[in-house]
Amino acid sequence: MSHCEFPALGFGVGLRRPHYSEIVDTHPRMDWFEVTTENFMVEGGRPLEVLERVRERYPIVMHGVSLSIGSTDPINHDYLRTLDAMARRFEPAWISDHLCWTGVGGHNLHDLLPLPYAEEVVSHVAGRLREVQDILGRRILIENVSSYMAFACSTLTEWEFLGAVADEADCGILLDINNIFVNAFNHGFEAEQYIDSVPVERVKQFHLAGHQDHGRYLLDTHDHPVRAEVWRLYERAVRRFGAVSTLIEWDDRIPEFRELQAVADEGRSRCDSAMRGAAQPGIDAHR
Amino acid sequence: MMAMKPDRERPRAAAGDFDLKRLQELLYRLIAAPCGVGEGLAANGGLPPGNLEAILNGDDRLSARERLEIYANAYFYRLLDVLKEEFAATLMIVGDVNFHNLVTGYLLEYPPTEPSILHAGRNLPAFIRTHSLSRRWPYLPDLARLERSLLEVFHGPAAPVLDASTMRQVPPHEWPALILRTHPASRILDLEWCVDLVMRAAEETGTRIEPPSGPTSVLVWRQGSRAHYRRLERGERAALALARDGVAFAMICEAIAAEAIPDENPAALINRLLARWLSDGLVMAVGPWPASPAGAAS
Repeated sequence: MSHCEFPALGFGVGLRRPHYSEIVDTHPRMDWFEVTTENFMVEGGRPLEVLERVRERYPIVMHGVSLSIGSTDPINHDYLRTLDAMARRFEPAWISDHLCWTGVGGHNLHDLLPLPYAEEVVSHVAGRLREVQDILGRRILIENVSSYMAFACSTLTEWEFLGAVADEADCGILLDINNIFVNAFNHGFEAEQYIDSVPVERVKQFHLAGHQDHGRYLLDTHDHPVRAEVWRLYERAVRRFGAVSTLIEWDDRIPEFRELQAVADEGRSRCDSAMRGAAQPGIDAHR
Repeated sequence: MMAMKPDRERPRAAAGDFDLKRLQELLYRLIAAPCGVGEGLAANGGLPPGNLEAILNGDDRLSARERLEIYANAYFYRLLDVLKEEFAATLMIVGDVNFHNLVTGYLLEYPPTEPSILHAGRNLPAFIRTHSLSRRWPYLPDLARLERSLLEVFHGPAAPVLDASTMRQVPPHEWPALILRTHPASRILDLEWCVDLVMRAAEETGTRIEPPSGPTSVLVWRQGSRAHYRRLERGERAALALARDGVAFAMICEAIAAEAIPDENPAALINRLLARWLSDGLVMAVGPWPASPAGAAS
């Protein structure tokens, strides 16, 4: 997978409504923006106008939440047509979605549900991913999701499943570092082993985010700062995968834009340190 | 399209003994069960021997059922939050508890089917019409319809609008043949209650009022990046309805003039309404047009 196909964009943040005016009017310092694709699958109005203005000055990446690549429903070709039209209009650096299912029987739970980690499911998902990539005429990235349940019928680890799907579909991986940390706690595995086992050449983007600690489980909420343990995991990931494009996710209790800039700057600094081999070694996941 | 790379070496796991489709259907039913996973489990005949623990791993921190309940809660409360934001005035009228119960019933009747969560509230006005809350607040369906229309107009198609300066460039003798059309991101709501007053009170003062009943036509449209609403005045309803599909300006004038009251100058009424529509960015010219009309998209 070439670097031209998934260029290193630097450090970006999500394009969110509270920041629309500031971004459009003042063009603040930021390497790139990630947009939630479905929020812009509308006919017109301010969101699309904002996206057009943003795209004039910044690279964007389209990150979907409803591809439902793991569902047993037929692939939604209407959705793909809209996605393709958006991609032609806004020319994102790439398109990504999640390794999950979001609904079945024509219904949408508007959530990212995990799959059983088994060979049959690898084949099922990879076949659908190949079809999607053929339709879109490009490779896409799939993201590991946070999860709170695991299936008794799973025969692979989560990282084996992720790597196997990416290999079989020949797609890239959007590696969410916070999700690995959350899942390590929720399901009792070593986050470092996960990082160390994902195929290096497939990882083309990182996500970093905050979560809530509910005592008995961690909830991936994107409404808190990135925790120190997740930063250290990120540094470990940078040492393994390199300085791939990194996004700071913040979707609720969204702070001022300058705070997001500061988090992106911290990411850049930690990335530089890790690349120089000067960062702290990774630590055990919170267990 | 692209060369496939060979699989890397990985552990070859044995095939799992399950049916993914049946598994997803079961989990969907349990997550979307209106009174929670417990009720879903009690009503469900699709569970294998060993019940939920045969499907989902549990441990001493969280049982299988507790893990699934995280998803069930997320499903309901995510949609509840979206609908609260979209139907803020309706929520203010009925209160939190009633709205919570309303959404519980709504999601049972109209579970989301679209990729975008923006569509989740599309059928709530129709559902409210059949709901017991509309006996206590008979204007509630109209209010919800107005709120939903504001969202749909906000995301409606963009189109170049006609402004007064462009209109003035056209020689007056050519005006009657001009084809005018209302902007596609606009709609007329024919309502049974004056719920625009309820919306205004909720937005401007955060107060609840009981609206008068009686047929009311409300215009919802987008100008710039904002959705607006206002009650239509005399002469507008019929004229704008005609213009929805594009019609000659002469016919619009006839429709307005037909509603002029005795001793009123129809031309003055036409001029005033046209000026308002142009100022509001409500109409677009679709031809015939003597020159290239410059208009800003809205």
